[in-house]
Amino acid sequence: MPSQEDRARVPEALEAAGGLRPGVARALARQTGVPEAEIYGVGSFFHLLSEPEVEVRVCQGLSCRLAGAEALLEAARESGLKAEGCQCLAACDQPPALLRRRRVLPALRLDEVRGAGADPGAIRAAAAPDDVWAGQVGPEADDPEHLAINLLGPLDWSGAAFARAASMGAAAVFDGLERSGLQGRGGAGFPAHIKWRGVASQAETERYVILNADEGEPGTFKDREVLLRRPDRVVEGLAIAAAAVGATQVYCYLRGEFEIPWQALEGAITRFDAEGRFPGIAFHLHAGQGAYICGEETALMEALEGGRGMPRLKPPFPTEKGLWGKPTLIHNVETIACLPGIVLRGGDWFRELGRTGAGTKLYCVSGHVARPGVYELPLGVTLDELVETAGGYTGRLQAFSPGGASSGFLPADKRDVPLDFKALAAEGSMLGSAGVVVLDESVDMAWAVAQQLRFFEAESCGQCAPCRIGTRFLRERLDAHRAAVAGAGRGEALAQVAEVAWQMNEGSICGLGQAAALPLTSALEHFPDAFA
Amino acid sequence: MAGLVTTFGAGAMTNSIGEIRDADFLFVIGSNTTEAHPIIAMEMKRAVKRGATLVVADPRSIWLTSMAERHLKLRPGTDIWLLNAMANVIVTEELYDEDFVAHNTEGFEAVAETVRAYTPEAAEQVTGVPAEEIRATARQYATTRKAGIYYTLGITEHSHGTDNVYALANLVLMTGHLGHASCGMNPLRGQNNVQGANDAGATPVFLPGYQRVDDPAVLAKYQASWGVELDPTPGLNLNEMMKVAGTQLKGFFVMGEDILLSEPNVAHLEEGLNGIEFLVLQDIFLNETARFADVILPAACFAEKDGVFTNSERRVQRVRKGVEPPGEARADWEILQDLARLCGADWDYGDPAEIYAEMVKDAPKFAGISHARIEREGGIQWPCASPDEPGTTFLHEGGILRGKGLFTPVDYRPSMELEDSEYPLLLSTGRTLYHYNSATQTRREQGAGFKQPEAYVELHPKDAGRRGIADGDLVELLTRRGNLRCRALISRQVRRGCIWMPFHFAEARANLLTNDVGDAVTGTAEYKVCAAEVKRLSEQPAPVAFRGSYYAVEGPGPGKVDELPMAPVSAADPGD
Amino acid sequence: MTQPQTLTLNGRELAFAPGETVLEVAQRAGSFIPTLCHDPRLAPAGACRTCLVEIEGWRRMAPACATPATAGMAITSESGRIDRHRKSLMALYLADHPEGFVGSELGAPDQVYQLAERYAAPTDWPRMDNIRAGRPLDENPYILFDATKCIACARCTRYCDEVEAVTAITLAGRGSQTTIATVDNLSLLDTTCEMCGGCIDTCPTGAMAEKIPLLTAARPERELTKVRTTCNYCGVGCQMDLNIDPEGNGGRGKVVKITSPAPGTTTNDGNLCVKGRFAYDFIDHEDRLTTPLVRGADGQLQPASWSEALQRAAEGLLGVAERHGKDALGFISSSRCTVEENYLVQKMARAVFGTNHVHQCAAT
Repeated sequence: MPSQEDRARVPEALEAAGGLRPGVARALARQTGVPEAEIYGVGSFFHLLSEPEVEVRVCQGLSCRLAGAEALLEAARESGLKAEGCQCLAACDQPPALLRRRRVLPALRLDEVRGAGADPGAIRAAAAPDDVWAGQVGPEADDPEHLAINLLGPLDWSGAAFARAASMGAAAVFDGLERSGLQGRGGAGFPAHIKWRGVASQAETERYVILNADEGEPGTFKDREVLLRRPDRVVEGLAIAAAAVGATQVYCYLRGEFEIPWQALEGAITRFDAEGRFPGIAFHLHAGQGAYICGEETALMEALEGGRGMPRLKPPFPTEKGLWGKPTLIHNVETIACLPGIVLRGGDWFRELGRTGAGTKLYCVSGHVARPGVYELPLGVTLDELVETAGGYTGRLQAFSPGGASSGFLPADKRDVPLDFKALAAEGSMLGSAGVVVLDESVDMAWAVAQQLRFFEAESCGQCAPCRIGTRFLRERLDAHRAAVAGAGRGEALAQVAEVAWQMNEGSICGLGQAAALPLTSALEHFPDAFA
Repeated sequence: MAGLVTTFGAGAMTNSIGEIRDADFLFVIGSNTTEAHPIIAMEMKRAVKRGATLVVADPRSIWLTSMAERHLKLRPGTDIWLLNAMANVIVTEELYDEDFVAHNTEGFEAVAETVRAYTPEAAEQVTGVPAEEIRATARQYATTRKAGIYYTLGITEHSHGTDNVYALANLVLMTGHLGHASCGMNPLRGQNNVQGANDAGATPVFLPGYQRVDDPAVLAKYQASWGVELDPTPGLNLNEMMKVAGTQLKGFFVMGEDILLSEPNVAHLEEGLNGIEFLVLQDIFLNETARFADVILPAACFAEKDGVFTNSERRVQRVRKGVEPPGEARADWEILQDLARLCGADWDYGDPAEIYAEMVKDAPKFAGISHARIEREGGIQWPCASPDEPGTTFLHEGGILRGKGLFTPVDYRPSMELEDSEYPLLLSTGRTLYHYNSATQTRREQGAGFKQPEAYVELHPKDAGRRGIADGDLVELLTRRGNLRCRALISRQVRRGCIWMPFHFAEARANLLTNDVGDAVTGTAEYKVCAAEVKRLSEQPAPVAFRGSYYAVEGPGPGKVDELPMAPVSAADPGD
Repeated sequence: MTQPQTLTLNGRELAFAPGETVLEVAQRAGSFIPTLCHDPRLAPAGACRTCLVEIEGWRRMAPACATPATAGMAITSESGRIDRHRKSLMALYLADHPEGFVGSELGAPDQVYQLAERYAAPTDWPRMDNIRAGRPLDENPYILFDATKCIACARCTRYCDEVEAVTAITLAGRGSQTTIATVDNLSLLDTTCEMCGGCIDTCPTGAMAEKIPLLTAARPERELTKVRTTCNYCGVGCQMDLNIDPEGNGGRGKVVKITSPAPGTTTNDGNLCVKGRFAYDFIDHEDRLTTPLVRGADGQLQPASWSEALQRAAEGLLGVAERHGKDALGFISSSRCTVEENYLVQKMARAVFGTNHVHQCAAT
């Protein structure tokens, strides 16, 4: 029978074999002992594996579409490239983005694609010399006193925070974490210290720490910048977490399109290893294969184990039964990167950095703003403050998504709501991953909603019926409505939306399905005229 | 079965199918369970998934071996060496159940003495199974309480089949793996009603309920019940009957068997049948034996009649009539009754329930079972002595049925025919999932033909290569008794030097090839081992629809990928 | 002795055993909770969402099939919220399902229709076209996969993996295109599939179905009579239901399909193998013997009446005994026939002809 490791290496073996070409699954099954149908099922789940013939993918996310992504895809096809649209590539600040194999090329111009002809290797992006690039971040001042992560700060290979945590002992680290008020930065905002104590208190001593770097929420690209610019903080944060909860194995799951961030993280691990900073802790890097849902923590674990990335039922929670059924601490990149600062400067310092909530927050901002990018600001700034940091609006504000596609749309008059966990929840939205997308008045809101619905339909894992059927049903209904409006025929196309949205929220297994109707329902609430 | 009766006082699975899923150790020997008993295999798989240890002893790689912790790939016919070596380990390392041996068995010392010479190292030389694997298996088996042994014809269809059963029983007795759930000694029955046919006394030695014909008290009871004089001399077993067909035996009544297809050394039997005077055949199809029949009586199939079958775990279950038989066909019991009456009997059974009631009246093991009760409760497992007893899920609870379990020392005797320069390969036969015995039913099933339309022989890539044989080639298979043509399947399943073929195909009757040397006790023929050779035929007509097998070296289906950018693994070289 | 643990279901106090799920407790108490993806042989998936119940103190409804019972748990399985959930969920299922209703199925009953009817789900929601890939070119003889009826509950793939352990089929693709596939979409014949048909048996909608009854336009399952019997192949003794068209074969009755009894009720636990489930063609095969035959003076077998054939048989056997003695006769019985018939053969050999030469092919 195949071992745990045999199964776990299936996705990357499929990648190495050039994706799910005919015969590959059977050949791999003979080598690994993993059933061939299981391998096929895994390969067919992940877009980077299931479509081996595709040469380039053009992001069709909202920010990229605002920047002409549809025309770019058309141009790529006209050039003779095997090109497909794809969902968010976490480059909303540099739209439109294109994926060549696993490399994201930013801010492509039509002529850059046309000039390459049918050779995908010849595509060059002016914004990315040698195909390497990073985005705009801020604030620009190096201000370690006020920035928990400090994207522009100097790299620190001293391991001082880890050493300090070790001398404090786990209990003191938990206390410090509790005082810091740190809430998970992946979207759910769950208090970090509860997870840590949860893992540490398990009877099972085989425990794992996982870094969730499967960033894919449309509008979000902060983890990319953290990995690129502060991999030192990420690796040290992971080491602190592992030591505190009693884990020796750390798994880093990066979305497959993060080739450059992968190199940065791998380099940091190598550097720390060479200096022997974190003795007894082993880091393993795993590449995602193209599935937004694997950002959901239990789906990520399924994928790490070599399965189809379908979320698990909770309870049990990962703190109790996570990776391979063992207690697991899983955190988003940004959350982890906050840890060295919290350990060195204390929980109180971190908490005080925030305004309406604890700590600083990396806000991603894209769409109709002057300088899209990632900005570390006190938790609880308003949209106007954020956009001011990003160089101001480029048009008249109509709507914004405060936390990625899952947060729906808010109207301009909510611009003063603090961008924090609580206040946005009170508005029926959420901070989520703080992927703020700004839309000016030129945007047809029904069009914007349609794009978000397409995203959820494409990225639903298909496991539970409310989400699998509901995401498609809503998208088809909105398409029907827009067609009817265009044909001057008003219809009942949206008659079931409220009930389906209720069902998806109540009935879905995970957050994807629970939130997937929000773009439509929030837009119907706040922008009724757009659907008239 | 004779071996089991001798050892334990009852010839049946000691334990129940439903207990398999809770076993912690499963020793499967001579049973391709997934193909011959798929539903029992499901229970085994469930046990393994739950965490049980599975050890499979089989010359071939079979599906179960892919799930096994250990595959003891022994040379065909060397079972005694393997089993005695396991006993050697258990005795030498004092892993046997002293208490059980003392109170529940007799003859331990003799076995302990016999197995002394069967060291694992010596066994490795004969069986090809590494000594350490034999040791590990013996230790795990002896030290796990819920440890069961499961076997089928791979154990019994040898010239030393009864010895094999004794050797297994010795292991069970010395470890005391008897009398509680999920352990025991479990022969998996090949036919739907093997158990029931034996239970009913369709054997030369036993009257119904395993009561010996040469036991005067038994005989007296039946003479009183049946009102006739009975012969106290045990009769000839099947193998013996086949050998004296035409000489000592001049007439046959054959019900539901195609003796020409299923008996070994068919050429000899055909000669014998030419010398008989009369043969009555009662069946649902015309079969090969019909060529020799004087009268053929059309019978109803299982869906067209009432009665009971008894399964491997001694469970008596109803067969119910769902549809009417075709044409003038009638239920076997009705035909038998009419025939008996014409021969002078005064039988007057109204239905099978009455027949069953008569049978259990004189057979205490089944006394509590009736059609009416099965109707109410579902299947009932014997022994069940009275209507208010629930039946027995596992035997020997609180003591062995025959009083004390009898150890029987056995020594290795080579199979009657071994490979030599003329016939350098060892041929075994068996069944596949898609066909059943002589396939009179399954080959009339359009579906099975899709998967396995033609007879084939499995051979090792190296044996095939040396003979210039490619996958799907038409080959001639020869033994001292005959030859036949079939397709070659280059297989990952067989060991080098061994070949295997299913016995289901009439146009390539494997039993033309096999040896009819019978087991000394049961008369069961040595279907499992004989010397053979395979030759590629010069004419190669295209296969009808030879799909090969999933287990072929060349898998079926399109899109073979030769090179993957990964390190090759050892499994790539099959079965050496 | 520890106190038996209890919980409440709709206010009713129920005892439960450790390890039981909420669904199991409810079923034992006779309380119906709808399910689609549940099969007691499989690890719970919680994916179909039909069994959601409310648990006091839990914000979200929880799947009864996958939620372990705990002491003091207060469960509600009937409420306005749950009713709304069932209605809208089943309406969504219907929107993604072929149009139809209870009683319109061509094969096995479709539980989507049944549950939609039971909970009076709206039936007027717009239907969506099927976008799940099937395997129309799979020439395997037995198992049909109708992707339009698939609800991706994964009972078939989980059965194939967890129970049959051959893992020939898998969930493939994702999102609304999620379907059931084989490796590279090969025919089942070219995979590890052993054709046990367990996928058909566990499928709640008829998406997995027996090919032959559908291709031969046999009557739908609701019009068939089921007769419980014992399989006539190997020695496991699986219980099975002959599905009989009573008017078939000119009123003689025709077995058009074989199904297995519910899991947990018989030794085979709801399972059957390829032979048990599918190899029943022989019953109506044209080769069946339908009339007695006797060998004529010309050496050929000729049809004969029963009385003629039986007379000839009796005379023949008695003649051999007379000429050569009773022990010149051999009786070969059959492990394929019933216990009663075996009893009669040996009784005939012993009591009528006086010989112990009776055996069958089962000397193990």
